[in-house]
Amino acid sequence: MMRRYTARTLVGEITMLVLCAVFLIPIYFLVVSSFKTQPEILRSPLGLPESIDFSNYVEALEGINFFHHLWISVYITTISVVLIVVFGSMAAYTIARKTNRLTKFLRNYFLIGFMVPIQTTMLPLFLIMRNLDLLNTKQGLIFLHANGAVFALFLYTGFMRAMPRDLEEAAAIDGAGQFRIFWRIVFPLLKPVTATVAIFNFVWVWNDFILGFLFLGTTDNATLTMQVYNGMGQFENDWAIMIPMLILTTLPMVIFFLLMQKRIIGGLVTGSLKG
Amino acid sequence: MSRELLRDHWRLRVNTDTKSRLQGRDFGRLARTQPPYLARWRRNVPFTVFILPALIVYSIVVILPLIQTFRYSFTNYDGLSPEYDFVGLENYRKVLSSEQLIEPFIRTIGFSMVVPLLVTVMAIPLAVVLNGRFKTRNFQRASFFLPSVLSALFLGYSWTFILSSSKYGMINALLEQFGFDRQLLLADSDLAMWLIVLVVVWSQVGWHAALYLANLQTIDPALLEAADIDGASAFQRFRFITLPHLAPAMTVSVALLIIGSLKVFDLPLAMTEGGPGRSTILMTQSIIIQGLSSSRIGLASAMSFLFFLVIAVITFTQVTLMSRYEDEK
Repeated sequence: MMRRYTARTLVGEITMLVLCAVFLIPIYFLVVSSFKTQPEILRSPLGLPESIDFSNYVEALEGINFFHHLWISVYITTISVVLIVVFGSMAAYTIARKTNRLTKFLRNYFLIGFMVPIQTTMLPLFLIMRNLDLLNTKQGLIFLHANGAVFALFLYTGFMRAMPRDLEEAAAIDGAGQFRIFWRIVFPLLKPVTATVAIFNFVWVWNDFILGFLFLGTTDNATLTMQVYNGMGQFENDWAIMIPMLILTTLPMVIFFLLMQKRIIGGLVTGSLKG
Repeated sequence: MSRELLRDHWRLRVNTDTKSRLQGRDFGRLARTQPPYLARWRRNVPFTVFILPALIVYSIVVILPLIQTFRYSFTNYDGLSPEYDFVGLENYRKVLSSEQLIEPFIRTIGFSMVVPLLVTVMAIPLAVVLNGRFKTRNFQRASFFLPSVLSALFLGYSWTFILSSSKYGMINALLEQFGFDRQLLLADSDLAMWLIVLVVVWSQVGWHAALYLANLQTIDPALLEAADIDGASAFQRFRFITLPHLAPAMTVSVALLIIGSLKVFDLPLAMTEGGPGRSTILMTQSIIIQGLSSSRIGLASAMSFLFFLVIAVITFTQVTLMSRYEDEK
């Protein structure tokens, strides 16, 4: 009885599709406007563009040095995510498999991190980064992002606790060292969590603005997300460039989303601990 | 080298564990070459190495600055001069008594009560609908979820083109087309904050619906069917079966929304940059203005620390509530 598709369901479905359309109007408006001239936007704000002309896009690409900053975003995001996965899973192995007073203390010590917002730490962090000469460098930002390992750690620990130790013990008896046990046996078994951690942090690091804003600023090392901010300042009021620029800078994430939709929705919800 | 040692160590351990009782000589040799404390220490080396990177990064990025913030909040440090004085609770007094400083604080707290309320009220029904039998439900889920993966900065800027007070803004262009007057929208200091609320709700609702959806899918359909056969109305089924199932998800969702709204920075910055006037300056921006732009690290640290206390209380409440749900299971 729950599964029958009636006329009422059809009406509901159409209502929902209309709602979806209304929901996505801002994005639709942005895309159609990117091909229009300003008088054309005025004539028909929601109509389709009269002609498809990519010259604005080309200008925007050059205006914000798109490919240079795309590379910086890819570089920073990839290395940060790898560090988060490696540091997080390794630390989780110690916390899950070695239970003594010290590891229990460390677990609670790491838990404090959930309560400390970046807002509370950013000012001293700014001074620390200045003293370490890491301000405005890619390495500095990667170092800060690597702290995401703490949140990965808790996801990993939960998963590891539920994992049987038989394989690890068998390997130990066969003479494998802890390093080999971890990398050859435990880490491959963590794949589902690793996927979640990687996806979640990829989205988070890629979209990060506040760290980039504070620690990279308007430099040559700015990430693509930062470059949106810089570009909006630079092309103030020139909508014909600003809108294509916004679309271009978001395109990588939209593609990522379309490719891995199911995993992203699942991963973001599981990874929601972080917030 | 160390790998060699470790392998030997395991071999020796295997020897002691399985063979020692049979071969007394072996045990004797081990006892001579491996004092027990050394063996224990060696066994712990890999575990220490495993935890060290995360521990170091975390200590430098979170704990050290947290302590520094607490310390600076009692001083008049400006971030540059090496000499500064201890001023006691002066900074806290200033934050709580200055209208200019307390205003963003109050506004942020109001914002983080309104946003979770609106998002929750919309996300739960949305999740129930998306859990239904629609043929295009995957497409619908993706549509509502899309804003969650885009940067808040992009979302904020996109909406400035829609809510712009100029005649090119989408709303104003439409209004003019239908013969109405142009509106100030984001340039209206009474309205701007509400428009930010609208956009934040828009950007969050899909994500939170997905969270509820994941929990809805764990409800046994037989339960709903049985209630239906017993004559429960759709509303009763929702009220007495679905809603109680969603309670744990609601705790997580609301806590995340409150914390996320308290921390919000990029989206309002993209939409209004704190304006018009000072009408949309929120906590984070206020801390940055005081601390980095005006070099009043001491004062800004007091603000940061108050902010931390608020977040800590909310996180603590959420964790307590969650563990209560776990106990009930």
